[in-house]
Amino acid sequence: MKKDIDLLKKRNRRRRDVMEKVGSTGLALSGLIGLMFLSVLVWQIAIPTFIEGETGEVSPASEFIPVSEYILKWDHPTVDDNGDLIGDEVVLRLTWDDNGAERTHDVAITVTSERNLREDIVVNESGVSTDAVTVGKKTKFYVQSSLTVPVEIEQLTGPVPAADETGSPAVSSFVISADVDVLVSEGELVSHPFALVAWVVLLVSIVLLSYPVTPLLKGMESLIGRQRMLRFGSYGLGVLTLLAGAFSLEAYLGAACWVVSAVGMNRMLEGMERLRSQGRDITQFDRLKHSITNREGVLLWARMLLVFSALFIPLLVDIPFLTERYQDIFQPYASGIRSAFFGTIWVMGIAMVVSMPVSIGAAIYLEEYAAPTGMTKLIQALVTNLAGVPSIVFGMFGLAVFVKQGGIGMGLGPSILAAGFTMGVMAMPIIVLASQEALRSVPSSIRESAYGVGCTQWQVTRDHVLPSAMPGIMTGSILAMSRIMGEAAPLVVVGAAALVLFDPEPLAGITGGNLNFTVIPIQIYFWTSEPEHAWHSMAAAASISLILLLATMNSVAILLRQHFRKRLNP
Amino acid sequence: MSEKIGGEVVPDSTRELDIDGELDLMVEDLDLWYGAKQALYGVSLPIAKNSVTALIGPSGCGKSTLLRTINRMNDLIPICKYEGKITKGDVVITDKGADLVELRKNIGMVFQRPNPFLKSIYDNVAYGVRLHHSPTREQLDQIVEKSLKRAAIWDEVADRLHDLGTSLSGGQQQRLCIARTIAIEPDVILMDEPCSALDPIATAAIEELILELKKDFTVVIVTHSMSQAARVSDYTGFMYLGRMVEFNKTEKIFSEPDQELTKRYITGRFG
Repeated sequence: MKKDIDLLKKRNRRRRDVMEKVGSTGLALSGLIGLMFLSVLVWQIAIPTFIEGETGEVSPASEFIPVSEYILKWDHPTVDDNGDLIGDEVVLRLTWDDNGAERTHDVAITVTSERNLREDIVVNESGVSTDAVTVGKKTKFYVQSSLTVPVEIEQLTGPVPAADETGSPAVSSFVISADVDVLVSEGELVSHPFALVAWVVLLVSIVLLSYPVTPLLKGMESLIGRQRMLRFGSYGLGVLTLLAGAFSLEAYLGAACWVVSAVGMNRMLEGMERLRSQGRDITQFDRLKHSITNREGVLLWARMLLVFSALFIPLLVDIPFLTERYQDIFQPYASGIRSAFFGTIWVMGIAMVVSMPVSIGAAIYLEEYAAPTGMTKLIQALVTNLAGVPSIVFGMFGLAVFVKQGGIGMGLGPSILAAGFTMGVMAMPIIVLASQEALRSVPSSIRESAYGVGCTQWQVTRDHVLPSAMPGIMTGSILAMSRIMGEAAPLVVVGAAALVLFDPEPLAGITGGNLNFTVIPIQIYFWTSEPEHAWHSMAAAASISLILLLATMNSVAILLRQHFRKRLNP
Repeated sequence: MSEKIGGEVVPDSTRELDIDGELDLMVEDLDLWYGAKQALYGVSLPIAKNSVTALIGPSGCGKSTLLRTINRMNDLIPICKYEGKITKGDVVITDKGADLVELRKNIGMVFQRPNPFLKSIYDNVAYGVRLHHSPTREQLDQIVEKSLKRAAIWDEVADRLHDLGTSLSGGQQQRLCIARTIAIEPDVILMDEPCSALDPIATAAIEELILELKKDFTVVIVTHSMSQAARVSDYTGFMYLGRMVEFNKTEKIFSEPDQELTKRYITGRFG
């Protein structure tokens, strides 16, 4: 008998071990597949860039396009503000073959500190147009050739242009890795000093609030009683940052840093004061942290700010591919997804504004107010089915209702507005179902307690039910948003364009103007259908950008959910 | 009249409802159904002002249902229907057009499981006050402090008023719920087994509190513990299968009950 049980135990244990192994192998495999998937995308980008990459020659792109362009860019000026030379002068030598005879021409380049100053060099049958050009730093200018033979460019003297270490200028191809030179670039302060200090202070206070260090706490103790000074000082610095930064994006972020760190520090001091008044040691980190975080979740603000700055830094740092370059039909590597990126942001924004209030309102009505009549059940069934309708059908709906003029059509045309509305309608059933689920899972004791003190139904919903349902509603909404962010099919029907060479105008559907727009999935779709290999690598780069955008949105969703959860059960 | 149900002789709801002192609330001939199932059969109950009335009886006898009908909490259950009359002074609570907000402000309720709002301790108490009055900041501070002191929890939470109410222990949460209820100055406090989720020490604290509250409020308490009913209440109603079997002064019920059923219940021979 005992033997049997032992055998059984042994067998169970073995089975458990096997399951354990299968589980972990499965996890490892899925991780591996994910990695492979990513590396395929990276490989797609890498092949043409590094193996078939440009060699520093200017060559005509094809017989039909006589002019070819060669892009150059210097990061730092070669003359100071008075026009005096700093370091070596930049001289380019252009060499080409003129019916058997070799011709050369030297061009002197003056780089000034003024940005966006541009002067191009033109090469044609009669030679080079100019002997000297003046351009601004960090500004691209072009060597344009209308010859049918390649032109070689050699730099004789001076510092090498940007993105080049070999000495010869390179075609500027897309660079996804961000040059993190927001704050300091080669010893030169790019950021405003106030904003810079604000970031540093924010960083220090986040570290201090998350991982208090005893000596620092002892130091801070001396500040107790001077909270007011600390607070108003920081607010003053925030205002100064705003004024000094002339209301730039960076100034806003800097001012926000001041305020957040001031509030955080203030809370910390309050917590220390409380600990001291209870006769406890101020270095009791857990209590201290609790006293800071419990009320408003300052740490969360800080983390949120970090996430949002992670969203903003690419804009500051300039990822040319994402935010600077439009599509260039002649040179894949000089192309970017600027118009698609902004198109996606606008479509998402409009969809969110349209769908969230309506859907959450509908969920509240269906869950809290509607009497369980046949009509309600019918609506419920329709909403549930709507969530499973293929996305292309929503595209047809958008075409009929938002795009077309006449009948039930609103006549917005194939515009951002029509696309945003269509996507919003597509998100609605998903958000309604998620919100209903969240509302349903609010325990009835919460409703009872609120009714017990004499709340009206709306007060119960607003003050008690909604806050507890918020994590679910938020998660559902953001997941719906990230689902429609990746949708291409409905927008093909609504009429997204393949090639857009300007920033989309969000209100063009009403105000008139250029209706054309595109979004990242559409851009990927059209690029993959191009015959040239180079476009496929661009599509891969765009895919990675889309994945990063989605990952950012989802991490915001996770943070929000954690924040609300923490408020519910600390 | 009496019926024989499940081997027990169950008398009709009692008509002997004598109380000393002033009448606060009167329940008359209340019948109540959950869907097709009848839960209360002609129950009547007088509730005396500034006293503690306890409702005892085995599980499922309708004690909580009766209590929840008094402030019309049962309206939240769609299948619940009732006939009969509950009056408080001139106000007929069971009227269709009764002002439920005003009613629940005057008749506060403490639930079986402590259910503080997902707000800070301060806001838990202040919420109801803000809802019904518009106090200034100082008045509000005073009301919160006074209510927490009356609920005998002030000393434990004074230094963490801005922590979440749910971060307290079970007994503290229940006292916080009592503080929340008395902050809006009701006339009557209904308590639905307030100690069932608590340990003996917290229970003792709440019982002491109930005796204290009696001075200012009328308390109706549903309890499973007969010793608790004997300790805190002035009047006791014994319910069985939806009938009010016996109602009388507590000492009478526990010393010489009229009904055989009551006697057997309080001596622990059934139920």
